[in-house]
Amino acid sequence: MEPSRAEPRLSPYGVPQDAPPTDTPHVVVRWVVWLGVLAVITVVMLALRPQLDKAHVALGFLLVVLGGSAAGGRALGVALAVLAFILFNYLFLTPYYTFIIGDPLDWLVLAAFLTTGVVAAQLLDRAQERAEIARQRAIEVERLAALGSETLNAGRAEDALLAIAEVIRSTIGVDCCEVLVPRGTPPQLTLLTRTGPCSDGAGAPADVTSPWSLAVWVAEKRAVAAERADGTKWIGGGDHSDELLRWPAEDTEIRTLLAPLIVRDRTVGVLRVSNAGPFSLDSGREQFLRALSFYAALGVERVQLAAEAERAEAFRQADALKSALVAGVSHDLRTPLTTIKALAHSLGEAGSAEARAIEEEADRLNRLVADLLDLSRLNAGAMPLRPEINAAEDLVGAALRRVGGAIDPKRIRVTAGTASGNGDPVLLGRFDFVQSLRALVNLLENADKYSPPGEPIDLSVTRMGEHLRFAVADRGPGVEAAETGRIFEPFYRAPGVPPDAGGAGLGLAIARRVAAEQGGDVQYEARRGGGSVFTLVLPAVDTPPNAG
Amino acid sequence: MVTNEETRAPLFATAERRVLVIDDEPNIRRVVKDALRPDVPRVLEARSGSEALSIAAAERPDLIVLDLGLPDMDGIDVCRQLRAWTTAPILVLSARDSETEKTALLDAGADDYVTKPFGPAEFRARVRAQLRRAGMARVPGGDEPLRVGDLTIDIARRTVTRGEATVHLTPTEWGLLIAFVKSAGKTITHQQLFRAVWGAAHGDAQQYLRVYVAHLRRKIEPVPYEPKYIVTEPGVGYRFEPEG
Repeated sequence: MEPSRAEPRLSPYGVPQDAPPTDTPHVVVRWVVWLGVLAVITVVMLALRPQLDKAHVALGFLLVVLGGSAAGGRALGVALAVLAFILFNYLFLTPYYTFIIGDPLDWLVLAAFLTTGVVAAQLLDRAQERAEIARQRAIEVERLAALGSETLNAGRAEDALLAIAEVIRSTIGVDCCEVLVPRGTPPQLTLLTRTGPCSDGAGAPADVTSPWSLAVWVAEKRAVAAERADGTKWIGGGDHSDELLRWPAEDTEIRTLLAPLIVRDRTVGVLRVSNAGPFSLDSGREQFLRALSFYAALGVERVQLAAEAERAEAFRQADALKSALVAGVSHDLRTPLTTIKALAHSLGEAGSAEARAIEEEADRLNRLVADLLDLSRLNAGAMPLRPEINAAEDLVGAALRRVGGAIDPKRIRVTAGTASGNGDPVLLGRFDFVQSLRALVNLLENADKYSPPGEPIDLSVTRMGEHLRFAVADRGPGVEAAETGRIFEPFYRAPGVPPDAGGAGLGLAIARRVAAEQGGDVQYEARRGGGSVFTLVLPAVDTPPNAG
Repeated sequence: MVTNEETRAPLFATAERRVLVIDDEPNIRRVVKDALRPDVPRVLEARSGSEALSIAAAERPDLIVLDLGLPDMDGIDVCRQLRAWTTAPILVLSARDSETEKTALLDAGADDYVTKPFGPAEFRARVRAQLRRAGMARVPGGDEPLRVGDLTIDIARRTVTRGEATVHLTPTEWGLLIAFVKSAGKTITHQQLFRAVWGAAHGDAQQYLRVYVAHLRRKIEPVPYEPKYIVTEPGVGYRFEPEG
């Protein structure tokens, strides 16, 4: 940049276009003017020498020195001070026109004058320098603030990122600025934003692996890397402290520069700046790039958050649609079923066996509809579970009542250990009553389906550690060892079971899903002496101290 | 217990009972009418919510059967608007077995609900229970002791006997029993039950409501896991059945 501004600390972000122009002709003019002023003052004071005291002379020269350093900087100030010192000694200290000093006290005057002049020039210059730094800082802060508000105000997240990329491109003075982000599974770096005429070098633009391979390295190692014009590469080394990325500050042959974009310790992408000809990073550009790449990282994050929000909204709408569909389907299916069932019932009462069969099938169809709706709701995560403290015997009672129409109540034996005796404590659990009831009813219906007629079904409830265990035991054929893993799958049907055995093979699947959703399970074990034991496991709670 | 009852003679042969059926499906209206025939000679019909409101205001039916899938209005709104001026029992027909919806309906003033598809017997039993309730004393057991199976509940004297033995109830259990008796035959939601016993208070009691009911059942039900009097309506609340 400007050779006259030799001090890099002057501007941490080195904004080139804001630097004040300090032309060489201007400096020469200033020197000539102030040397002229010194000559004029000297001549005037020489004419008035008999009337002047040494102090007047010193003050006159000092004014010139101060004026010179204020207008022309430290070098002019010091030069004026030295010249004035010589003139003072030669022209105004006795004996005149010699450098000999008669009065020893005059040494003191001269030394004091020189020191005052030089120090004043230095101080003045330093104050000006500070003011200049402050001015530069203010400009930079203003620029970054403007960039920040611009990017925050940009309507779409993509537009904001594009604006940042454009600022990077123009500030660094390169042809092309791109942002790459990992996408897909497994994640691959793909282009998110590009500004300026970008050449993809020798590699084809569609080929992700070879042109971006250095980019992949940058993303993985979280280090800066550069490609030189001669094809060699510079890499920033394994410095893992995120705050202190190493940049190729001294390199003058860079063609492409890659930097990781890191937000909150997470690499969100890679910044890639490239130029047709070689370029370099001085400390000012490096500082600016460092700050801007953070903005770019925030921009990428914003793009990602916006995309996530859109996805979540799409999911929500799909979910609402699904719930409406489920409600609509259940209403549309059940209303005609009601009519069929009721009309068949009336005919059945009049003695028609066919009508009774129609009513039974209507009931079965209704159960299937309920099962399918439940399974779809469970799969969609749309089944709201409200776990509450419930008594085990309440669940047993509700289950017996629910199956009362289909299963002969005398067939189900609720055995000891159920806390049926009034002396036993009430067994309590924390579970969703409605869904757990569904699970237990499914187990009872399953047992009824597979148990030979006349054989009782045993239901017992026990507390074991942190769980309640509702065990439903039948004397059915049991489950072959090879099949035990599959019986909980939806639509599973045991081999050899006729298709009209009732149900769609969803009962156990729903029971297990419902139990698992609330921290429980449905387990199978072979029953001693033949048959199966299906156990619904639900979380238990202790009896509250003040209950009762 | 319900199937045998329906073959008996009509309960309200003397009174000219009128029931309003609100449903946009003609077949459902027909099914409901058929089911009501032995008890209710005259059935009023409405095809929409607005029609139902005007008929109900003009005819003052003794019972209202309301289907939720109406074309013009939300069933809950119909329920609320009816309840604003009539005390006639409202029986809701719902196609969804959504407990939250049922609870919301009961809280909006409905007295009971039947889930589609329902059998005529079940429906008739619910209708009878509601009509009986409407004809009962305001507080059953308030004037004379209420007999429920082998239980005798004397609200005035605050005593419960089972056979010959006195049943000792804690104040909370007594409060629950009174709340049940007062709304006998009607489904009472957990929230309504809690408010009836504890008022507006909050705290531990609410989450242990079901535990208190379990303790009450232990004392008054012959078999606690097969309750006859305090029947659980899963996910909604309870119904006290004075018939046992």
